Amino acid sequence: MDKMVFLAGAAAQETMLAQGISANNLANIGTNAFKAQLQNARSQPMYGPGHPTRVYSLTESLGNNFAAGSMQSTGNALDVAINGQGWFAVQAADGTEAYSRRGDLSINADSLLENGRGELILGTSGPISIPPAQRINIGEDGLITTSPFGHDNAKVVVGRLKMVDLDSKSLIQKEDGLFHTITGSPADASASVTLKSGMLETSNVNAVSELINLINLARQHELNIKSMTIAQDNDEASARLTQISG
Amino acid sequence: MQPALWTSKSGLDGQQTELDNISNNLANVKTPGYKKGRVQFEDLLYQKVRAPGAENSQSSLLPSGLMVGTGVKVVSTQKDFSNGNPIRTDNALDMSISGRGFFQILQADGTIAYTRDGSFQLDLNGNVVNSKGLLLQPTITFPTGVTGITIGEDGVVSTQVPNSSTLTQLGTIQLADFINPAGLEPIGGNLFVQTDASGTVLLNNPQTNGLGSIDSGYLESSNVNVVEELVNLIQTQRAYEMNARALETVDDMLKFVVQSL
Repeated sequence: MDKMVFLAGAAAQETMLAQGISANNLANIGTNAFKAQLQNARSQPMYGPGHPTRVYSLTESLGNNFAAGSMQSTGNALDVAINGQGWFAVQAADGTEAYSRRGDLSINADSLLENGRGELILGTSGPISIPPAQRINIGEDGLITTSPFGHDNAKVVVGRLKMVDLDSKSLIQKEDGLFHTITGSPADASASVTLKSGMLETSNVNAVSELINLINLARQHELNIKSMTIAQDNDEASARLTQISG
Repeated sequence: MQPALWTSKSGLDGQQTELDNISNNLANVKTPGYKKGRVQFEDLLYQKVRAPGAENSQSSLLPSGLMVGTGVKVVSTQKDFSNGNPIRTDNALDMSISGRGFFQILQADGTIAYTRDGSFQLDLNGNVVNSKGLLLQPTITFPTGVTGITIGEDGVVSTQVPNSSTLTQLGTIQLADFINPAGLEPIGGNLFVQTDASGTVLLNNPQTNGLGSIDSGYLESSNVNVVEELVNLIQTQRAYEMNARALETVDDMLKFVVQSL
């Protein structure tokens, strides 16, 4: 009896965790360049003598859906979106290089380029400082040029966005929500990655599939709870059998 | 309590802020010189329930862990300083700036605020004031009995005084510019104030140092794009509903537990 109620109880708890991932994906449906988290359940047998009948269920985050979000046209010169594969290099809170596809750039109080999450955007040689300028232009290859005040047609090269072409298998999402290389060492800039200026990549959360997932998990959770009540019924039945009838 | 409940709540909060922002943009669709706002979202920290590579048994490791995100938050509302359309009004004191720059307005507390709203009028002393009665800086005063007001593209204000055949120059309207206009703080009344993020103010005459020219007889309309806002509205409403559904589902799950066990 005991294993039935514990198995069902543990499964119900894991289903709740999975529901948390779905809820997070739905909460971030408006976050630019958000990559939906994937989850699945895995059977986890208990090892040891007499145990193989107990197979627990374990929720896992498998990683992220790396499909590109849809492109939204904004017309703002500092909004950039990566065309196809590739990542922008940003500085994580601990100072290391991390990767994001978020391209809603702005200039912070220190004249440095940062994205909408407040992370510094890295160029091919560290953070990019933007001098006072009348116009800022970001080219397809990530080259940033500015026109100084009063010289609309002049061009000054300020830096170049570091864009890398990393395989999704070599990236892992950490607690800060950014993607880091599994090895921990920064990747080299790739010339094959191009961007589009005046566009933003939106969240890639598929609302319909998340809702279906939500319903699916809710039903699964009900089944687990039902199993727990059945375990209780079984227990009561066997308790009655052992009662000495007077 | 279940983290999913709070995650969904953060989603509802975020969409609500977005809705507030859209309503504000739509409400200001006719405000001259209004600059539309944009809400920026950020995903919150992730909770590591099980680390990938944790020991599963003596000889095996878990191939992938469990990271549960904790929701979303609004980081900032960013102003879009793209120019609105100039609308012809034929009123000489209506000015629109084509290009970069802000008018300077002296506030009641003596500090300077900045605006793109060029609907100016005269007060009882002949001073040029904005629609709230605050003085345009540098102050320009019209003597009594003047006929005709001319404001040049370079900001020079001139008028015809009585008993004179030539135009008299009254002053020049200076424009303010910032390295990062998106860092200005909106304070209402179509005014913005300088912050650390905007950088210090750069004052120059119109048409110099990259500043725009002044078009007298025109007003800059709001840069809100109604269609875009309505699309955002639909999107936000649906996103709100979906987060509410997630909240409801988790609530139902918990209810089922309470009722069944």
